[in-house]
Amino acid sequence: MKLQAADDGSLILEEIPPFLFHLLGEIAGRAASKHPRVETRFFPDPASDEELIKDWKSLVQPELHAIFQSAREIVQADLRGASGSKESLRNMRIPQSHGDAWISALNQARLAIAEESGFDEKDMVAEGEPDPEDPRSMTLFQLGFYGFLLECLVRMQE
Amino acid sequence: MPSLDSPEKETLEEVGLDAPWNVVVHNDPVNLMSYVTLIFRRVFGYSQRKAEEHMLEVHQKGRSIVWTGEREKAEFFVQQLHSHLLLATLEPAPLT
Repeated sequence: MKLQAADDGSLILEEIPPFLFHLLGEIAGRAASKHPRVETRFFPDPASDEELIKDWKSLVQPELHAIFQSAREIVQADLRGASGSKESLRNMRIPQSHGDAWISALNQARLAIAEESGFDEKDMVAEGEPDPEDPRSMTLFQLGFYGFLLECLVRMQE
Repeated sequence: MPSLDSPEKETLEEVGLDAPWNVVVHNDPVNLMSYVTLIFRRVFGYSQRKAEEHMLEVHQKGRSIVWTGEREKAEFFVQQLHSHLLLATLEPAPLT
């Protein structure tokens, strides 16, 4: 896969192998996890003040839900615009105006995966080739791949 | 990685409307350092250097007080940080 920052601020992804494109297609689903630990992580209490927590749940959290979902929808739309077929290398473009949505969705997906899988800091820094026979190893690879793309997009914002 | 610290439990009435409040960001093992720095720059308008200092404090000490001021604005900042999925809480600042 090749990544290139275009003059107009968009990120161009070329020759995306089917497996990596499959992982890109999982961003939204992973990010939308309903796992209780993910819900807790995505919507933490802002303080220990009971009244504030109550207000937060009724006023702030619905807005956060909408923000997160909107980002995921933009990512899915960009993926639908990718050229190429299921078996071939794909090409796609992330417009500059969609950068924040991708950053949000990738971060959501990483956090959700880490919560669901119970990854800790030691797992995050572990090195070595992923083992295709080991689902946990492949999930960690997915987390790393999203992190790589997220890092590229963050760098482009600086 | 340290767990989310529980802020001191104090009510608005106990602290007073004008008392300062801290916005605290807590560490988590997943958010990228560059991402956290970017969010601090965007939410608070901090320089790259100041944003990195807070990011490193979060990473190394488990938490950083990233802003102190009036409660309403502190709540707004916590909301902004939650929208970027940073672990942020609001707590009364110790009175000096």
